[in-house]
Amino acid sequence: MTRAALGPLLLALALRPAAGQLVAVGPQFVLADYREVASGLRYRGNGFGGALWARRNRFSVEAAVVRLSFDPVAGSAADSGFTATQVDAWVAYDVAAYASIEVGVLHRSVDPEFDAQSVGALRVGARSFYQIGPGATVVFRANYLAAPKFSGGGHAAVSLDLGLGLDVRLAGRLHGTATYAFNRMNRRTNPGGTGEIDAPIQETVARLGLALGF
Amino acid sequence: MSRYLAAVVLLAGLAHPAVGAAQAAQNATLRRAQQAYDNLEYRQVLTLARAALRERLTGAERARAYELLGFTYGAMDSILKAVDAFKQVVLLDPERQLDPNRVSPKAYSAFDVALRQVLLVRQLRVDSVSFVGGQGAVPVRFTVTQPARVVARAIGSGATVVIDSGAWNGQVNLRWPARLPGGDPVPAGTYTLVVDARLGQNTFSASQPIRVSHGRVDTLPSVTSLPGYQFLPETEIPPQSWRPVGLAFLYTGGALVGTLGLESSSLGSSSKRELGLVGGAALVTGFVMMLRKPAARPAQANILYNHLLRDQIARRNQDIAKENVARRQQVQVTVAPVSPVTPK
Repeated sequence: MTRAALGPLLLALALRPAAGQLVAVGPQFVLADYREVASGLRYRGNGFGGALWARRNRFSVEAAVVRLSFDPVAGSAADSGFTATQVDAWVAYDVAAYASIEVGVLHRSVDPEFDAQSVGALRVGARSFYQIGPGATVVFRANYLAAPKFSGGGHAAVSLDLGLGLDVRLAGRLHGTATYAFNRMNRRTNPGGTGEIDAPIQETVARLGLALGF
Repeated sequence: MSRYLAAVVLLAGLAHPAVGAAQAAQNATLRRAQQAYDNLEYRQVLTLARAALRERLTGAERARAYELLGFTYGAMDSILKAVDAFKQVVLLDPERQLDPNRVSPKAYSAFDVALRQVLLVRQLRVDSVSFVGGQGAVPVRFTVTQPARVVARAIGSGATVVIDSGAWNGQVNLRWPARLPGGDPVPAGTYTLVVDARLGQNTFSASQPIRVSHGRVDTLPSVTSLPGYQFLPETEIPPQSWRPVGLAFLYTGGALVGTLGLESSSLGSSSKRELGLVGGAALVTGFVMMLRKPAARPAQANILYNHLLRDQIARRNQDIAKENVARRQQVQVTVAPVSPVTPK
């Protein structure tokens, strides 16, 4: 099959409505803001990624992988940017028609390694979702980030993640998605044994994408 | 003058019932008697009617001759003789009936007295009827003119069945279940329904042939709906409302409030670019959805109602299936009279 023929075929498949949609997958464009330790250490970035969503009965699985390039904003104390690869994953169970409980993981790795904190944490939380129209659903989630691990050491007793999501069926199997996430980690560290100091981390991410339902 | 007119009207009324009889009379003497009656020549009527009775007449002609005598005696105020003449009429034609609106009261009362003085079984009627064997009955009715011991039977080649017996007088109504003593329906065939009346030495019988036929009992069709109940649509389109934009606002507001509340003071105000992008998209989507026709949603009450209705229909069909099994073992009995009453 030639590439010229593959394009219209994929478009036709995308515009055909799915009978019982269980899986959706698609690319995402990402905007992000990252702050660490103090207000002077600020980065802004963007990148691309992909997302996968699947459902079976009351269970649903969601995963997103993005690669971001961060650059210091004007006035930032940082003098160089970094790239980050972030993986978010959730497994949810519907406890009501409009609510689920969920667990998952958050993992963000940074390159170069010590230009920012690499993080790994477990997620425990809940989400509420509501269909506001034919094929349009809004989601709000709140997760507690448990047992976070930082590449630079330290701990964070209180780490939270908030999210807002939107899924709109554009045509047939084709969906438009928009997801907002804000996470805040009250990291405390003890550099050189001189006593604990606050080194909070705060990130906001917006993912805009398309998804194909199957 | 008025007396004369009244007499003419009365006599015309007396003459009227005999007109039809005269038209059918073949005997010449009887025809002359009828003409004399029409001309109000009562003496001549008596002479000619008696003369006709001495001649060879058919049963109907003899009944007409006695009827002329009865009307004439009635007009001549000889009531006892009128009663005797009418007795002969009803013995010859037990079904004879006078119309009280068309004959004189004297003649009618004389006829009525005559009926009460003769033992008769009259107006034996069997209605056509069809029923499931064992679940219906044949209506039988007749009139006994005097208190008498009466026995009603159905006599046929297949069986002879006593329908009922008793001491009756006047109008009698019976219901015959058309069953043998064992409970089975009487066999199909032609029967004669005989009513015997006995009063001392006097007896009278009336009969009515009937035909009994057997057929299959109609089975009931399955039902797909119940009368008065209809399936309801299982989805409904909710009315347009501000709910979509309201919910989008609520969810976006929740994210904004949460973000503002969780922001670290030491890191400064976070970027609102990302939330603005996604929240704006949610609000726009909510606004668009508010303007769009809402999607159909399941109507739980209607779904439950339809479920119950389907259960009811299924139960009804189960009952119908059981009923049909029973009906296939039953016989549809049809009874119909086949000819008019024949006096014996």
